[in-house]
Amino acid sequence: MIDFARVQKELVECSKDAEGSGIRVIPKSDNLVHLIGTIPGPIGTPYEGGVFQIDITLPEGYPFEPPKMQFSTKVWHPNISSQSGAICLDILKDQWSPALTLKTALLSVQALLSAPQPDDPQDAVVAQQYLKDYQTFVNTARYWTESFAKTSSRGIEVKVQKLVEMGFPEAQVRSILEAVGGDENLALERLL
Amino acid sequence: MVSDSIAAAPILSAANTKNPGKKKRTNRSAKLKQYKIDARREQWLSQGAVKNKGCKDGIDDDGHVPSLPVGKHSKRELEKVETRRRGEDDDVSIHQDSDSESPSNSPISSNSSVLCGNDSGTNFTGSSSGGSSSSSSSSGGCYSGNITEEEEDDDEEVEEGDDECLDDWEAVADALAADDKLQTSSQDEPVVETDSSCEVTNGSGVGSMSSKPGSDGVLPWASGNNKAWRADDAFRPQTLPNLSKQHSMPNPDRCCGGGIPWSRNSVPSNCPICCEDLDLTDSSFLPCNCGFRLCLFCHKRILEQDGRCPGCRKQYECEPIETEASVHGGSLTLRLARSVSMIERTLKCLQIIIQQTGPWVVFEHQGRYSTEILC
Repeated sequence: MIDFARVQKELVECSKDAEGSGIRVIPKSDNLVHLIGTIPGPIGTPYEGGVFQIDITLPEGYPFEPPKMQFSTKVWHPNISSQSGAICLDILKDQWSPALTLKTALLSVQALLSAPQPDDPQDAVVAQQYLKDYQTFVNTARYWTESFAKTSSRGIEVKVQKLVEMGFPEAQVRSILEAVGGDENLALERLL
Repeated sequence: MVSDSIAAAPILSAANTKNPGKKKRTNRSAKLKQYKIDARREQWLSQGAVKNKGCKDGIDDDGHVPSLPVGKHSKRELEKVETRRRGEDDDVSIHQDSDSESPSNSPISSNSSVLCGNDSGTNFTGSSSGGSSSSSSSSGGCYSGNITEEEEDDDEEVEEGDDECLDDWEAVADALAADDKLQTSSQDEPVVETDSSCEVTNGSGVGSMSSKPGSDGVLPWASGNNKAWRADDAFRPQTLPNLSKQHSMPNPDRCCGGGIPWSRNSVPSNCPICCEDLDLTDSSFLPCNCGFRLCLFCHKRILEQDGRCPGCRKQYECEPIETEASVHGGSLTLRLARSVSMIERTLKCLQIIIQQTGPWVVFEHQGRYSTEILC
Protein backbone atom coordinates (compact mmCIF):
# COMPACT_ATOMS: atom_id res chain seq x y z
CA MET A 1 0.00 0.00 0.00
CA ILE A 2 1.46 3.31 -1.02
CA ASP A 3 1.81 5.83 1.77
CA PHE A 4 -0.22 8.55 0.07
CA ALA A 5 0.09 10.86 3.03
CA ARG A 6 3.79 10.91 2.52
CA VAL A 7 3.47 11.33 -1.25
CA GLN A 8 1.11 14.24 -0.72
CA LYS A 9 3.55 15.81 1.69
CA GLU A 10 6.41 15.29 -0.72
CA LEU A 11 4.50 17.05 -3.47
CA VAL A 12 3.79 20.00 -1.21
CA GLU A 13 7.41 20.19 -0.10
CA CYS A 14 8.61 19.96 -3.67
CA SER A 15 6.30 22.69 -4.94
CA LYS A 16 7.51 24.98 -2.15
CA ASP A 17 11.03 24.84 -3.47
CA ALA A 18 10.22 24.50 -7.16
CA GLU A 19 11.55 27.94 -8.03
CA GLY A 20 14.88 27.35 -6.34
CA SER A 21 15.65 23.85 -7.49
CA GLY A 22 13.74 23.88 -10.76
CA ILE A 23 12.53 20.39 -9.92
CA ARG A 24 8.82 19.79 -10.13
CA VAL A 25 6.70 16.79 -9.44
CA ILE A 26 3.15 16.84 -10.74
CA PRO A 27 0.60 14.07 -10.49
CA LYS A 28 -0.17 12.57 -13.87
CA SER A 29 -3.49 11.27 -12.70
CA ASP A 30 -5.66 11.62 -9.66
CA ASN A 31 -4.47 8.55 -7.80
CA LEU A 32 -0.92 9.78 -7.11
CA VAL A 33 0.55 6.57 -8.47
CA HIS A 34 1.72 8.07 -11.74
CA LEU A 35 3.58 11.32 -11.57
CA ILE A 36 5.62 13.50 -13.86
CA GLY A 37 8.90 14.94 -12.69
CA THR A 38 10.74 17.67 -14.54
CA ILE A 39 14.37 18.58 -14.07
CA PRO A 40 16.32 21.35 -15.75
CA GLY A 41 19.48 20.36 -17.55
CA PRO A 42 22.52 21.16 -15.42
CA ILE A 43 24.39 24.31 -16.32
CA GLY A 44 27.74 23.71 -17.99
CA THR A 45 26.68 20.43 -19.57
CA PRO A 46 25.37 19.56 -23.02
CA TYR A 47 21.97 19.35 -21.35
CA GLU A 48 21.95 22.99 -20.31
CA GLY A 49 18.82 24.83 -21.25
CA GLY A 50 16.73 21.71 -21.64
CA VAL A 51 13.88 20.62 -19.40
CA PHE A 52 13.64 16.89 -19.06
CA GLN A 53 10.50 15.04 -18.19
CA ILE A 54 10.62 11.88 -16.15
CA ASP A 55 7.76 9.47 -15.76
CA ILE A 56 7.40 8.34 -12.21
CA THR A 57 5.44 5.32 -11.13
CA LEU A 58 5.17 4.56 -7.45
CA PRO A 59 5.26 0.88 -6.54
CA GLU A 60 2.99 -0.60 -3.91
CA GLY A 61 5.75 -0.61 -1.34
CA TYR A 62 6.73 3.04 -1.71
CA PRO A 63 8.60 4.51 0.18
CA PHE A 64 10.14 1.22 1.19
CA GLU A 65 10.65 0.38 -2.48
CA PRO A 66 12.20 2.78 -4.97
CA PRO A 67 9.98 4.72 -7.38
CA LYS A 68 10.18 3.66 -10.99
CA MET A 69 11.61 6.49 -13.04
CA GLN A 70 12.07 6.76 -16.75
CA PHE A 71 12.92 9.65 -19.02
CA SER A 72 10.03 10.52 -21.26
CA THR A 73 12.22 13.13 -22.90
CA LYS A 74 14.87 11.70 -25.18
CA VAL A 75 18.34 12.09 -23.73
CA TRP A 76 21.81 11.26 -25.08
CA HIS A 77 23.58 10.03 -22.00
CA PRO A 78 25.71 6.93 -21.22
CA ASN A 79 23.55 5.98 -18.24
CA ILE A 80 20.17 6.66 -19.85
CA SER A 81 18.76 4.53 -22.59
CA SER A 82 18.46 6.54 -25.76
CA GLN A 83 15.62 4.23 -26.78
CA SER A 84 13.49 3.74 -23.70
CA GLY A 85 14.70 6.43 -21.36
CA ALA A 86 15.51 3.88 -18.67
CA ILE A 87 17.83 5.24 -16.03
CA CYS A 88 20.79 3.33 -14.62
CA LEU A 89 21.14 4.78 -11.16
CA ASP A 90 21.90 2.84 -8.02
CA ILE A 91 19.59 4.79 -5.73
CA LEU A 92 16.69 3.85 -7.97
CA LYS A 93 17.60 0.20 -7.52
CA ASP A 94 19.49 -1.48 -4.70
CA GLN A 95 20.73 1.69 -3.04
CA TRP A 96 17.29 3.16 -2.54
CA SER A 97 16.54 4.28 0.97
CA PRO A 98 13.13 5.13 2.41
CA ALA A 99 14.70 8.31 3.66
CA LEU A 100 15.03 9.49 0.07
CA THR A 101 12.18 11.32 -1.57
CA LEU A 102 10.99 11.91 -5.10
CA LYS A 103 12.71 15.25 -5.01
CA THR A 104 16.05 13.88 -3.82
CA ALA A 105 15.81 11.09 -6.36
CA LEU A 106 15.20 13.62 -9.12
CA LEU A 107 18.13 15.66 -7.81
CA SER A 108 20.26 12.54 -8.11
CA VAL A 109 19.08 12.06 -11.68
CA GLN A 110 20.00 15.66 -12.37
CA ALA A 111 23.42 15.03 -10.86
CA LEU A 112 23.76 11.98 -13.09
CA LEU A 113 23.30 14.24 -16.10
CA SER A 114 26.27 16.32 -14.97
CA ALA A 115 28.44 13.32 -14.12
CA PRO A 116 28.03 10.47 -16.58
CA GLN A 117 29.50 7.14 -15.55
CA PRO A 118 30.39 5.32 -18.79
CA ASP A 119 31.94 2.43 -16.89
CA ASP A 120 28.48 1.33 -15.79
CA PRO A 121 26.47 2.17 -18.88
CA GLN A 122 22.81 1.83 -19.64
CA ASP A 123 23.30 2.66 -23.30
CA ALA A 124 26.43 0.97 -24.62
CA VAL A 125 26.56 2.99 -27.83
CA VAL A 126 26.48 6.29 -25.98
CA ALA A 127 29.03 5.02 -23.47
CA GLN A 128 31.41 3.98 -26.24
CA GLN A 129 31.06 7.36 -27.87
CA TYR A 130 31.63 9.10 -24.57
CA LEU A 131 34.84 7.16 -23.98
CA LYS A 132 36.25 7.18 -27.52
CA ASP A 133 34.97 10.37 -29.07
CA TYR A 134 33.97 12.73 -26.33
CA GLN A 135 33.48 15.74 -28.62
CA THR A 136 31.04 13.86 -30.78
CA PHE A 137 29.23 12.77 -27.67
CA VAL A 138 28.94 16.36 -26.48
CA ASN A 139 27.67 17.52 -29.85
CA THR A 140 25.14 14.74 -30.04
CA ALA A 141 23.91 15.32 -26.53
CA ARG A 142 23.55 19.03 -27.17
CA TYR A 143 21.67 18.35 -30.39
CA TRP A 144 19.29 16.00 -28.60
CA THR A 145 18.73 18.56 -25.90
CA GLU A 146 17.95 21.22 -28.48
CA SER A 147 15.70 18.87 -30.40
CA PHE A 148 13.74 17.15 -27.65
CA ALA A 149 14.25 18.84 -24.31
CA LYS A 150 13.69 22.41 -25.37
CA THR A 151 11.04 22.58 -28.03
CA SER A 152 8.79 19.87 -26.83
CA SER A 153 8.90 20.74 -23.22
CA ARG A 154 8.87 24.46 -23.84
CA GLY A 155 5.99 23.99 -26.20
CA ILE A 156 4.16 21.84 -23.71
CA GLU A 157 4.75 24.29 -20.92
CA VAL A 158 3.36 27.09 -23.05
CA LYS A 159 0.33 24.99 -23.96
CA VAL A 160 -0.18 24.00 -20.36
CA GLN A 161 0.03 27.59 -19.28
CA LYS A 162 -2.52 28.60 -21.88
CA LEU A 163 -4.98 25.91 -20.87
CA VAL A 164 -4.49 26.57 -17.17
CA GLU A 165 -5.22 30.23 -17.77
CA MET A 166 -8.48 29.10 -19.32
CA GLY A 167 -9.40 27.67 -15.96
CA PHE A 168 -8.53 24.00 -16.18
CA PRO A 169 -6.60 22.24 -13.46
CA GLU A 170 -2.94 21.85 -14.32
CA ALA A 171 -2.73 18.12 -13.61
CA GLN A 172 -5.65 17.41 -15.87
CA VAL A 173 -4.28 19.63 -18.59
CA ARG A 174 -0.92 17.88 -18.50
CA SER A 175 -2.35 14.39 -18.55
CA ILE A 176 -4.69 15.16 -21.43
CA LEU A 177 -2.03 17.00 -23.38
CA GLU A 178 0.18 14.00 -23.04
CA ALA A 179 -2.64 11.64 -23.96
CA VAL A 180 -3.34 13.53 -27.18
CA GLY A 181 0.33 13.81 -28.05
CA GLY A 182 0.73 17.51 -27.28
CA ASP A 183 -1.96 18.75 -29.61
CA GLU A 184 -3.36 21.84 -27.98
CA ASN A 185 -6.67 21.86 -29.84
CA LEU A 186 -7.36 18.17 -29.23
CA ALA A 187 -6.60 18.66 -25.55
CA LEU A 188 -8.99 21.60 -25.39
CA GLU A 189 -11.70 19.55 -26.99
CA ARG A 190 -11.22 16.84 -24.45
CA LEU A 191 -11.17 19.27 -21.60
CA LEU A 192 -14.40 20.82 -22.75
CA MET B 1 23.73 -9.71 68.43
CA VAL B 2 23.29 -6.00 68.93
CA SER B 3 22.46 -6.26 72.57
CA ASP B 4 25.28 -8.66 73.07
CA SER B 5 27.82 -6.41 71.52
CA ILE B 6 26.55 -3.42 73.45
CA ALA B 7 26.76 -5.39 76.64
CA ALA B 8 30.18 -6.62 75.76
CA ALA B 9 31.68 -3.16 75.65
CA PRO B 10 31.29 -2.36 79.34
CA ILE B 11 32.52 -5.82 80.17
CA LEU B 12 35.59 -5.16 78.19
CA SER B 13 36.33 -1.92 79.90
CA ALA B 14 35.47 -3.35 83.27
CA ALA B 15 37.65 -6.35 82.77
CA ASN B 16 40.58 -4.41 81.54
CA THR B 17 40.61 -1.32 83.68
CA LYS B 18 38.24 -2.01 86.57
CA ASN B 19 36.57 1.24 85.78
CA PRO B 20 34.88 2.37 89.01
CA GLY B 21 32.60 4.78 87.23
CA LYS B 22 30.48 1.99 85.98
CA LYS B 23 29.70 0.74 89.41
CA LYS B 24 28.93 4.12 90.89
CA ARG B 25 25.75 4.51 88.97
CA THR B 26 22.87 5.50 91.14
CA ASN B 27 20.28 4.12 88.85
CA ARG B 28 19.01 0.84 90.20
CA SER B 29 18.19 -0.68 86.97
CA ALA B 30 21.66 0.07 85.86
CA LYS B 31 22.97 -1.63 88.93
CA LEU B 32 20.78 -4.60 88.34
CA LYS B 33 21.98 -4.74 84.82
CA GLN B 34 25.53 -4.49 86.00
CA TYR B 35 25.01 -7.38 88.35
CA LYS B 36 23.58 -9.44 85.60
CA ILE B 37 26.47 -8.57 83.40
CA ASP B 38 28.89 -9.42 86.13
CA ALA B 39 27.25 -12.75 86.57
CA ARG B 40 27.50 -13.43 82.90
CA ARG B 41 31.08 -12.35 82.95
CA GLU B 42 31.85 -14.80 85.72
CA GLN B 43 30.27 -17.48 83.65
CA TRP B 44 32.28 -16.54 80.61
CA LEU B 45 35.44 -16.29 82.60
CA SER B 46 35.03 -19.78 83.93
CA GLN B 47 34.32 -21.05 80.45
CA GLY B 48 37.24 -19.15 79.03
CA ALA B 49 39.56 -20.47 81.73
CA VAL B 50 38.62 -24.01 80.89
CA LYS B 51 39.09 -23.44 77.22
CA ASN B 52 42.28 -21.50 77.60
CA LYS B 53 43.95 -24.47 79.11
CA GLY B 54 43.86 -26.07 75.75
CA CYS B 55 45.06 -22.97 73.97
CA LYS B 56 48.60 -22.15 74.90
CA ASP B 57 49.20 -19.81 71.95
CA GLY B 58 46.73 -17.25 73.07
CA ILE B 59 48.08 -17.17 76.57
CA ASP B 60 51.64 -16.86 75.39
CA ASP B 61 50.88 -14.01 73.09
CA ASP B 62 49.01 -11.91 75.50
CA GLY B 63 48.26 -12.19 79.15
CA HIS B 64 44.86 -10.63 78.78
CA VAL B 65 43.37 -13.50 76.93
CA PRO B 66 42.29 -15.50 79.95
CA SER B 67 40.64 -12.49 81.47
CA LEU B 68 38.65 -11.81 78.36
CA PRO B 69 35.32 -13.44 77.81
CA VAL B 70 35.95 -15.50 74.75
CA GLY B 71 33.30 -17.76 73.34
CA LYS B 72 33.74 -21.34 72.42
CA HIS B 73 33.20 -20.90 68.75
CA SER B 74 35.34 -17.87 68.29
CA LYS B 75 38.12 -19.51 70.22
CA ARG B 76 38.65 -21.95 67.44
CA GLU B 77 38.50 -19.22 64.93
CA LEU B 78 41.08 -17.37 66.90
CA GLU B 79 43.47 -20.26 66.81
CA LYS B 80 43.12 -20.62 63.10
CA VAL B 81 43.69 -17.00 62.42
CA GLU B 82 46.63 -16.81 64.75
CA THR B 83 48.47 -19.58 63.06
CA ARG B 84 47.57 -18.45 59.64
CA ARG B 85 47.91 -14.70 59.52
CA ARG B 86 49.49 -13.56 62.67
CA GLY B 87 50.05 -9.87 62.99
CA GLU B 88 47.31 -8.88 60.62
CA ASP B 89 44.64 -6.48 61.56
CA ASP B 90 41.92 -9.02 61.05
CA ASP B 91 42.86 -10.57 64.35
CA VAL B 92 41.59 -7.54 66.14
CA SER B 93 38.29 -7.78 64.45
CA ILE B 94 37.92 -11.42 65.23
CA HIS B 95 38.84 -10.63 68.75
CA GLN B 96 36.00 -8.15 68.81
CA ASP B 97 33.64 -10.59 67.25
CA SER B 98 34.47 -13.08 69.92
CA ASP B 99 33.33 -10.56 72.48
CA SER B 100 29.96 -10.36 70.93
CA GLU B 101 29.68 -14.12 70.82
CA SER B 102 28.72 -14.04 67.20
CA PRO B 103 30.78 -15.42 64.40
CA SER B 104 30.42 -12.76 61.77
CA ASN B 105 31.06 -13.10 58.10
CA SER B 106 34.30 -12.06 56.57
CA PRO B 107 33.41 -8.72 54.99
CA ILE B 108 32.36 -7.31 58.30
CA SER B 109 35.53 -8.62 59.82
CA SER B 110 37.60 -6.85 57.27
CA ASN B 111 35.47 -3.79 57.77
CA SER B 112 36.27 -3.54 61.42
CA SER B 113 39.83 -4.43 60.74
CA VAL B 114 40.23 -1.38 58.58
CA LEU B 115 38.46 0.77 61.09
CA CYS B 116 40.88 -0.33 63.75
CA GLY B 117 43.81 -0.06 61.44
CA ASN B 118 45.71 2.09 63.87
CA ASP B 119 45.67 -0.79 66.33
CA SER B 120 48.07 -2.72 64.20
CA GLY B 121 50.59 -5.11 65.62
CA THR B 122 50.45 -8.57 66.98
CA ASN B 123 47.41 -10.29 68.25
CA PHE B 124 45.39 -8.59 70.98
CA THR B 125 47.49 -5.46 71.09
CA GLY B 126 44.32 -3.48 70.58
CA SER B 127 43.09 -4.36 74.02
CA SER B 128 46.32 -4.95 75.86
CA SER B 129 48.36 -1.88 75.10
CA GLY B 130 45.69 0.73 74.71
CA GLY B 131 43.79 0.16 77.87
CA SER B 132 40.32 1.55 78.11
CA SER B 133 40.64 4.11 75.38
CA SER B 134 41.87 1.68 72.81
CA SER B 135 39.32 -0.84 73.84
CA SER B 136 36.60 1.68 73.35
CA SER B 137 37.91 2.48 69.92
CA SER B 138 38.05 -1.20 69.21
CA SER B 139 34.51 -1.58 70.30
CA GLY B 140 33.70 1.33 68.05
CA GLY B 141 35.22 -0.66 65.30
CA CYS B 142 33.02 -3.53 66.25
CA TYR B 143 29.97 -1.35 66.08
CA SER B 144 30.87 0.09 62.76
CA GLY B 145 31.29 -3.43 61.59
CA ASN B 146 27.62 -3.84 62.32
CA ILE B 147 26.65 -0.41 61.17
CA THR B 148 25.97 -1.42 57.66
CA GLU B 149 23.32 -3.82 58.77
CA GLU B 150 21.44 -1.91 61.43
CA GLU B 151 21.00 1.78 61.80
CA GLU B 152 20.88 1.68 65.57
CA ASP B 153 24.52 0.89 65.59
CA ASP B 154 25.14 3.87 63.42
CA ASP B 155 23.68 6.07 66.10
CA GLU B 156 25.72 4.31 68.73
CA GLU B 157 28.86 5.08 66.90
CA VAL B 158 27.99 8.71 66.43
CA GLU B 159 27.18 9.01 70.12
CA GLU B 160 30.48 7.61 71.04
CA GLY B 161 32.05 10.30 68.97
CA ASP B 162 35.03 8.28 68.04
CA ASP B 163 36.79 10.62 65.68
CA GLU B 164 39.27 8.08 64.53
CA CYS B 165 36.59 5.85 63.18
CA LEU B 166 34.85 8.70 61.45
CA ASP B 167 38.06 9.85 59.87
CA ASP B 168 38.68 6.40 58.61
CA TRP B 169 35.21 6.17 57.20
CA GLU B 170 36.15 7.17 53.71
CA ALA B 171 39.12 4.89 53.76
CA VAL B 172 36.81 2.11 54.82
CA ALA B 173 34.49 2.85 51.94
CA ASP B 174 37.39 2.78 49.53
CA ALA B 175 38.70 -0.43 50.96
CA LEU B 176 35.25 -1.95 50.81
CA ALA B 177 34.82 -0.92 47.23
CA ALA B 178 38.11 -2.58 46.43
CA ASP B 179 37.11 -5.53 48.53
CA ASP B 180 33.84 -5.78 46.69
CA LYS B 181 35.61 -6.69 43.51
CA LEU B 182 37.18 -9.66 45.19
CA GLN B 183 34.17 -10.85 47.08
CA THR B 184 31.31 -11.62 44.83
CA SER B 185 29.01 -12.90 47.50
CA SER B 186 25.57 -11.46 47.07
CA GLN B 187 25.23 -10.88 50.76
CA ASP B 188 28.13 -8.50 50.79
CA GLU B 189 26.99 -6.20 48.06
CA PRO B 190 24.21 -4.33 49.81
CA VAL B 191 26.61 -3.52 52.61
CA VAL B 192 29.04 -2.01 50.21
CA GLU B 193 26.35 -0.06 48.45
CA THR B 194 25.10 1.46 51.63
CA ASP B 195 28.57 2.45 52.65
CA SER B 196 29.21 4.19 49.38
CA SER B 197 25.93 5.98 49.53
CA CYS B 198 26.79 7.28 52.97
CA GLU B 199 30.02 8.45 51.56
CA VAL B 200 28.26 10.26 48.77
CA THR B 201 26.00 12.07 51.15
CA ASN B 202 28.94 13.04 53.27
CA GLY B 203 30.85 14.24 50.25
CA SER B 204 30.30 17.47 48.45
CA GLY B 205 28.92 16.42 45.11
CA VAL B 206 30.31 15.07 41.90
CA GLY B 207 33.80 16.36 42.37
CA SER B 208 34.39 14.46 45.55
CA MET B 209 32.93 11.33 44.06
CA SER B 210 34.95 11.40 40.91
CA SER B 211 38.10 12.04 42.88
CA LYS B 212 37.81 8.67 44.56
CA PRO B 213 38.97 5.93 42.29
CA GLY B 214 37.91 3.36 44.83
CA SER B 215 34.28 4.16 44.40
CA ASP B 216 34.37 3.35 40.70
CA GLY B 217 31.90 0.72 39.72
CA VAL B 218 29.84 1.19 42.82
CA LEU B 219 27.60 3.98 41.68
CA PRO B 220 27.06 3.96 37.94
CA TRP B 221 26.75 7.69 37.47
CA ALA B 222 29.74 8.44 39.60
CA SER B 223 32.03 6.13 37.71
CA GLY B 224 33.66 6.50 34.34
CA ASN B 225 31.74 3.71 32.72
CA ASN B 226 27.99 3.49 32.29
CA LYS B 227 27.72 7.18 32.91
CA ALA B 228 24.36 8.76 32.31
CA TRP B 229 25.00 12.25 31.04
CA ARG B 230 22.74 14.98 32.14
CA ALA B 231 21.92 17.68 29.66
CA ASP B 232 23.60 20.26 31.91
CA ASP B 233 26.62 18.12 32.67
CA ALA B 234 29.82 20.05 32.22
CA PHE B 235 31.71 16.96 31.08
CA ARG B 236 29.04 15.89 28.64
CA PRO B 237 30.64 15.20 25.25
CA GLN B 238 29.77 17.69 22.55
CA THR B 239 29.07 14.95 20.09
CA LEU B 240 26.05 13.68 21.96
CA PRO B 241 22.75 14.83 20.55
CA ASN B 242 20.81 17.45 22.40
CA LEU B 243 17.76 15.66 23.69
CA SER B 244 16.13 18.69 25.19
CA LYS B 245 15.18 19.92 21.75
CA GLN B 246 12.76 17.16 21.05
CA HIS B 247 9.95 18.57 23.12
CA SER B 248 10.39 22.22 22.22
CA MET B 249 11.35 22.19 18.56
CA PRO B 250 8.94 20.71 16.12
CA ASN B 251 10.65 21.09 12.78
CA PRO B 252 8.47 19.95 9.91
CA ASP B 253 10.95 21.07 7.27
CA ARG B 254 13.37 18.50 8.52
CA CYS B 255 11.12 15.67 7.55
CA CYS B 256 11.14 15.74 3.80
CA GLY B 257 13.50 18.58 3.18
CA GLY B 258 16.53 18.43 0.96
CA GLY B 259 20.02 17.46 2.00
CA ILE B 260 20.43 15.29 5.03
CA PRO B 261 17.11 15.19 6.78
CA TRP B 262 18.51 13.64 9.94
CA SER B 263 21.09 15.05 12.23
CA ARG B 264 22.63 14.06 15.50
CA ASN B 265 21.85 17.43 16.97
CA SER B 266 18.09 17.19 16.89
CA VAL B 267 15.25 14.78 16.99
CA PRO B 268 12.71 15.19 14.21
CA SER B 269 9.11 15.63 15.27
CA ASN B 270 7.88 13.42 12.46
CA CYS B 271 9.06 10.09 11.22
CA PRO B 272 11.02 10.87 8.04
CA ILE B 273 9.66 7.71 6.43
CA CYS B 274 5.94 7.81 7.09
CA CYS B 275 5.66 11.47 8.21
CA GLU B 276 3.67 10.45 11.28
CA ASP B 277 4.40 12.17 14.59
CA LEU B 278 7.06 10.60 16.72
CA ASP B 279 5.89 9.86 20.25
CA LEU B 280 8.20 9.67 23.24
CA THR B 281 9.04 6.03 22.66
CA ASP B 282 9.79 6.67 19.00
CA SER B 283 11.91 9.72 19.65
CA SER B 284 13.96 7.89 22.26
CA PHE B 285 14.40 5.00 19.87
CA LEU B 286 17.82 5.06 18.26
CA PRO B 287 18.18 1.89 16.22
CA CYS B 288 21.40 2.79 14.43
CA ASN B 289 24.68 4.37 15.35
CA CYS B 290 24.37 6.84 12.50
CA GLY B 291 21.70 8.67 14.48
CA PHE B 292 18.89 8.21 11.99
CA ARG B 293 15.60 8.09 13.83
CA LEU B 294 12.35 6.66 12.63
CA CYS B 295 9.19 5.35 14.16
CA LEU B 296 8.94 1.80 15.40
CA PHE B 297 6.45 0.85 12.71
CA CYS B 298 8.72 1.87 9.87
CA HIS B 299 11.65 0.21 11.62
CA LYS B 300 9.72 -3.03 11.83
CA ARG B 301 8.73 -2.74 8.19
CA ILE B 302 12.35 -2.27 7.17
CA LEU B 303 13.45 -5.23 9.27
CA GLU B 304 10.92 -7.35 7.43
CA GLN B 305 12.55 -6.39 4.14
CA ASP B 306 16.23 -5.71 3.63
CA GLY B 307 16.83 -4.55 7.20
CA ARG B 308 19.10 -1.65 6.32
CA CYS B 309 19.13 1.69 8.05
CA PRO B 310 17.60 4.35 5.78
CA GLY B 311 20.16 6.84 7.02
CA CYS B 312 23.40 5.00 6.34
CA ARG B 313 22.23 1.93 4.37
CA LYS B 314 24.04 -0.35 6.80
CA GLN B 315 22.35 -3.43 8.09
CA TYR B 316 20.63 -3.07 11.41
CA GLU B 317 22.76 -5.29 13.61
CA CYS B 318 19.95 -7.35 15.13
CA GLU B 319 18.92 -4.34 17.17
CA PRO B 320 22.15 -4.16 19.16
CA ILE B 321 21.46 -0.78 20.66
CA GLU B 322 18.19 -1.92 22.12
CA THR B 323 19.93 -4.81 23.79
CA GLU B 324 22.60 -2.52 25.10
CA ALA B 325 19.97 -0.22 26.42
CA SER B 326 18.20 -2.92 28.31
CA VAL B 327 21.42 -4.30 29.70
CA HIS B 328 22.63 -0.91 30.75
CA GLY B 329 19.27 0.05 32.06
CA GLY B 330 19.04 -3.16 34.00
CA SER B 331 22.35 -2.71 35.71
CA LEU B 332 21.59 0.94 36.28
CA THR B 333 18.33 0.08 37.96
CA LEU B 334 19.89 -2.56 40.12
CA ARG B 335 22.68 -0.36 41.27
CA LEU B 336 20.51 2.61 41.93
CA ALA B 337 18.04 0.52 43.86
CA ARG B 338 20.52 -0.01 46.64
CA SER B 339 21.27 3.60 47.26
CA VAL B 340 17.76 4.78 46.62
CA SER B 341 17.07 5.89 50.15
CA MET B 342 20.12 8.08 50.16
CA ILE B 343 19.79 10.32 47.17
CA GLU B 344 16.58 11.91 46.10
CA ARG B 345 17.82 12.84 42.68
CA THR B 346 18.80 9.29 42.02
CA LEU B 347 15.43 8.20 43.23
CA LYS B 348 13.72 10.36 40.64
CA CYS B 349 15.75 8.84 37.85
CA LEU B 350 15.14 5.42 39.24
CA GLN B 351 11.40 5.88 39.31
CA ILE B 352 11.39 6.97 35.72
CA ILE B 353 13.44 3.97 34.75
CA ILE B 354 11.15 1.62 36.51
CA GLN B 355 7.88 3.15 35.46
CA GLN B 356 8.57 3.69 31.81
CA THR B 357 10.00 1.17 29.48
CA GLY B 358 12.40 3.26 27.49
CA PRO B 359 13.30 6.61 28.99
CA TRP B 360 16.96 6.30 28.26
CA VAL B 361 19.06 6.35 25.17
CA VAL B 362 22.39 4.70 24.79
CA PHE B 363 25.11 6.46 22.87
CA GLU B 364 28.41 5.21 21.77
CA HIS B 365 31.12 7.71 22.42
CA GLN B 366 34.75 6.87 21.71
CA GLY B 367 34.15 3.19 21.93
CA ARG B 368 32.16 3.15 25.10
CA TYR B 369 28.45 3.25 25.67
CA SER B 370 26.78 5.79 27.82
CA THR B 371 23.18 6.19 28.78
CA GLU B 372 21.21 9.35 28.77
CA ILE B 373 18.16 9.53 30.94
CA LEU B 374 15.24 11.48 29.62
CA CYS B 375 14.02 13.17 32.72
